[in-house]
Amino acid sequence: MIAVRFEEREKIGLQYALETLHGCSPFGIEKIRRLRFYSPEEQEELETELYNVEQAAKAAEPMKAVYDKICMLLCQMKEIRGSLRRIKALETPDHVELFELKNYLQRLETLIPLLQQVDEMTHFRDLAFHDPAAALAVLDPERTRSRGFYIPDSATQKLREIRQAKKQIEEQLYHAATDAEKDELRQRRTRICAEEDSEEMKIRKAMGAALAPMADDLLADADTVGRLDFLIQKARFAVRYGGIRPQITQHELELVDMVNPELCDLLADKGRAFVPVSIALDRGATVITGANMGGKSVAMKTVALNVLLLQAGFLVCAKEAKMPLFHSVKMLFDDLQSIQSGLSGFGSEIVEFQKALTEVEEGYSLFLLDEFARGTNPDEGAVIVQAVTRYLNGVDAISLLTTHYDKVAENANAHYQIIGLRDVDPDQIRAELAVTGDDGIQVIARHMNYGLYRVEGRSDCPRDALNICRMLSLKEEILQEIERAY
Amino acid sequence: MTAQLQKALAEVKTMSIVGMCKNAGKTTVLNWLLANAGRERVLGLTSIGRDGESTDVVTGTEKPSIFVPEGTLIATAKDMLRLGDVTKEIMATTGIPTPLGEVVVMRARSAGYVQIAGPSITTQLKDVSNLFFELGADQSIIDGALGRKSLGARAVAEGVILCTGASYHMSMEKVIEDTVNIYRIMNLPKADTLPPEPEESLEACLKQHGEALINGALTDTMVVPLLRSGVLRGGRLVVRDPSKVLLKPDTLDKLQTRQVKLEAAEAARTLCVTINPVSAYGWKFDKDEFKRKMSEAVDVPVINVKEELA
Repeated sequence: MIAVRFEEREKIGLQYALETLHGCSPFGIEKIRRLRFYSPEEQEELETELYNVEQAAKAAEPMKAVYDKICMLLCQMKEIRGSLRRIKALETPDHVELFELKNYLQRLETLIPLLQQVDEMTHFRDLAFHDPAAALAVLDPERTRSRGFYIPDSATQKLREIRQAKKQIEEQLYHAATDAEKDELRQRRTRICAEEDSEEMKIRKAMGAALAPMADDLLADADTVGRLDFLIQKARFAVRYGGIRPQITQHELELVDMVNPELCDLLADKGRAFVPVSIALDRGATVITGANMGGKSVAMKTVALNVLLLQAGFLVCAKEAKMPLFHSVKMLFDDLQSIQSGLSGFGSEIVEFQKALTEVEEGYSLFLLDEFARGTNPDEGAVIVQAVTRYLNGVDAISLLTTHYDKVAENANAHYQIIGLRDVDPDQIRAELAVTGDDGIQVIARHMNYGLYRVEGRSDCPRDALNICRMLSLKEEILQEIERAY
Repeated sequence: MTAQLQKALAEVKTMSIVGMCKNAGKTTVLNWLLANAGRERVLGLTSIGRDGESTDVVTGTEKPSIFVPEGTLIATAKDMLRLGDVTKEIMATTGIPTPLGEVVVMRARSAGYVQIAGPSITTQLKDVSNLFFELGADQSIIDGALGRKSLGARAVAEGVILCTGASYHMSMEKVIEDTVNIYRIMNLPKADTLPPEPEESLEACLKQHGEALINGALTDTMVVPLLRSGVLRGGRLVVRDPSKVLLKPDTLDKLQTRQVKLEAAEAARTLCVTINPVSAYGWKFDKDEFKRKMSEAVDVPVINVKEELA
């Protein structure tokens, strides 16, 4: 089962993606808050959901006005499931519960034809409501269609008589002259009010009993409302970030030009654009290497994000996608380890790794290791990561590692490198730095190519660090020392 | 007198009834309003916090319950619904939470008693008022808070009825003095223009512009030194609303003698002052003297709740 901690959601940008959604109904909001991931066994359901989201996304533009109307109705719906469960258990609903139920059903009644209108274009699968007319007939026996909830005089003969008597006494009270007369009337009035209360309670009880057999259908409808709400939000998300419906595979994962919505928006605010990343992964270990600041982690996080989006029933943010379904998604980020465990950074990393590995080995999984073992000395660290990589080649999972260590890549099934500063002339950067007087880091970031390329055969770790030193005009004597040592 | 008052009361869309103390006669005034106006126009009724108990929670004295005519809209906490005996039509749920449950709006389909526990936040009171008008109310009445807190009522109502009485203090002079103080603050004139806010110090701002907008509270410690140094003379101070004025009556007087204008950004009118010469704690004032003295101190009608409204 996929379980993602809040810090992990934040880290990979899933939390951000979820926060761009605006669930309208309490049912939809709950679905977003308690995000559920489809397991590989639920592929059929997931495919239905993806089909629906894709259809809804296609219709988002032409049907915008109808979507807005639907969202407005969803916003007005109140949480009625508690009352429905009470009704199902044959408890007596109170006035306010009956009012809210009536209101909810009226909104549902208005929503159904709107959904039909959308459905003519989208042909949703598995998304239908029961007719609320029967339940509404209980709550609004006179079919007044009024907004309020009121037990009409006509509910029982007795109620009619009681209310007539109450009214009569009120008129008499209004005209009563003496205090004694008033007191007597007030006492009679109190008795009548008590009778009215008990009669109304009987009627409420009967209404509850009449609704009880429909409670299950009504609860199912509330869930469907939540699904519809979430569906519209997913569709709008897909329109915003260019979602596509991936082809579901057995093992291999291929994402062409994938994006990370959080970084897209962040960079857009700074007037820059996210460079889409493409990657193809298969069973076994894949290593990403590349310069500092080059976006190794970004690539990895974007893979994780899109995998989780898919398994939560979203379209994925990419141009093309082929993706398998995973039993679990595990990630080890260098700064997410539990500090409180009392172990050193490295120690707790190993503990976390052990735990994660046990879960990964339970079924086809996605296993992400960001700069694993970077807390220890580079010689030992390299040996450890090389060994881990070789082991992961044999594990039934897609393992993706980013590392700085030498000779890890050649132990992996596949090797990606950040294009980074490969095609940039250091002299040009130096010149630009001299002219603009900008912060060196910003200039380099501007020229950094965040794309990935697949390294075939053997390759050394990139020498971008040296390049960066040159661009930032490190002291000449030191540079010469470095070059001699390379 | 009452005919003239009734006309004044009918002119405001939103009205707040505030009291100087418990047992000032707020509920008597409210019931009188409901009985007189409630048959002619649809009233929306709510309160700041809880009110309408049949025995006073504070003093243990018998209190008149709130009796509404048919058609009245009432916003009250859900748990209070069963304590009333009107025939209920639930009109809306507001999502406003109170310790006694969500605030619910109902229409009284028969006359009867109600218990009211409304929202306690100004913005929520405004929302409820708006909801009343949406549901067809002609006028919204807020059963307001006590003492100083009631000054905030200006933000939610155009008109205010100020209730005071012997229960406030044993000394009639003290009752009148404090009531008049609240009355004066409550009736601050509305500022036509808003002066600049002080950037560094209030003194600097006054020296430069001769006027200042006070965003927070206006206290004696702020005003007294300025009065002494003479910076304030002939100047103008504007507060956001009257509840922000925390000045002693004495300081208020001084402001007046130095011709300092004190104004508020939000303004309401005090429509009348009601008095209750009988205290819940056992003492009584001479009703005629009380009324006469109060009438001399304020320039709106003064009404004895025990005689004129009972």
